[in-house]
Amino acid sequence: MITEAELNNLIICKKCHTLHKRVPLRGKKKALCSQCDVLLYQKHPNLINKTLALVITAAISLFLAFYFTIISINIQGLEKELDFYALFLVLLEHHQYVVGIIFIFLIFIFPLTIIGSMLILLMLMKRKKNPYLVKRLLILLAHIRPWSMVDIFFISLLVAMVKLFDYAAIELGVAFVAFVFTLILDIIITKNISFDALWRKYQEIYGRVDEE
Amino acid sequence: MKSKVHFTRCHICEAVNYDNGEVHNCRRCHSPIHHDLTISYHKTLAFLITAIILYVPANLYPILISKQFGITSESTIMGGIMHLWEAGSYPIALIILVASVFVPLLKFIFIIYLLLATKYNLSSSRVDKHKLFYITEAIGPWSMVDVFVVIILSVLIHFSGIQVVPGAGATAFALMVFFTMISALSFDTRLISEKKHTSLEGKH
Repeated sequence: MITEAELNNLIICKKCHTLHKRVPLRGKKKALCSQCDVLLYQKHPNLINKTLALVITAAISLFLAFYFTIISINIQGLEKELDFYALFLVLLEHHQYVVGIIFIFLIFIFPLTIIGSMLILLMLMKRKKNPYLVKRLLILLAHIRPWSMVDIFFISLLVAMVKLFDYAAIELGVAFVAFVFTLILDIIITKNISFDALWRKYQEIYGRVDEE
Repeated sequence: MKSKVHFTRCHICEAVNYDNGEVHNCRRCHSPIHHDLTISYHKTLAFLITAIILYVPANLYPILISKQFGITSESTIMGGIMHLWEAGSYPIALIILVASVFVPLLKFIFIIYLLLATKYNLSSSRVDKHKLFYITEAIGPWSMVDVFVVIILSVLIHFSGIQVVPGAGATAFALMVFFTMISALSFDTRLISEKKHTSLEGKH
């Protein structure tokens, strides 16, 4: 029979599902899958503080992205601004309720929930409090992470801008820059921390509390 | 007693679990790990069929309706791509073509292949099938690009004389992407690897 500690020392590649045994890493070395070279794990010194800093920055830039004008266009004197308020309003006005609800969840509610719950859980983990809530939030994150589509929205924005390029003068707003920042931060966060590392930290911090 | 030990990766917290062939909870996050993979199989199949059905109206109904001083013109996804191609914006036409035509079709084909491979125990490489599923999950959300573009355009082109309105195709398309994503998410990766579940046919 295999003990808990031995199970903890195993890792399965997310891409090809090959079973690996963890080996101690030195310095900044990374462990890659033997089959498909996907990153398995790396060392995370200062995991919580580093991630918390990134998440707070991401929260600020996400707020700016949702609050200010993304782009404004000018077609022969006619001006129009694109921001989130206008997005919801126009969808309602055209009676696009199904698309509207899907859109609001994918672009607005899920990204906000992800950033919000990351903030709460990291702060709780930093203060070593409330293991139950931390666990719930980690599970919630695993469920909604595939559904956040801010990056796809940004690409769509670029496509729409190219389509309008011939007819209209386009001006970039504050929120456009904020979107770029949010995306860069999102890439840094997903590149630098793995959720497996967060779960391991959770075990490390609350291990004794959980057994009681 | 089986001499071979099975391991499984918890789909929530990524912990390695000992697969004892019963319903049990993940040792780390306590999410249930089901033994009966037929449920996962049928869920995937059901959502996939829903998505394929929705793919038809998504392509036949107009995704974008433009009203110019009382004259209404409608364009479907393929129509929009042709229009862009004729207008000379090849990169954009290609992006839309890949994101909204190829990606959904590829997803359908991949999931059908994975389901068939499970059911008939096709002897293809296990690692390759895992990689195929990984790609299926990664490309899934990108088909939303076209719907988002239509929404953005409908906000920006919203004047008294000229208007762009999302059509019925947009609703069908958004729902189609939603169901393909659920279908991929309900696919249990253990369907790929486990030999003992090849008795799927007998369980129906």
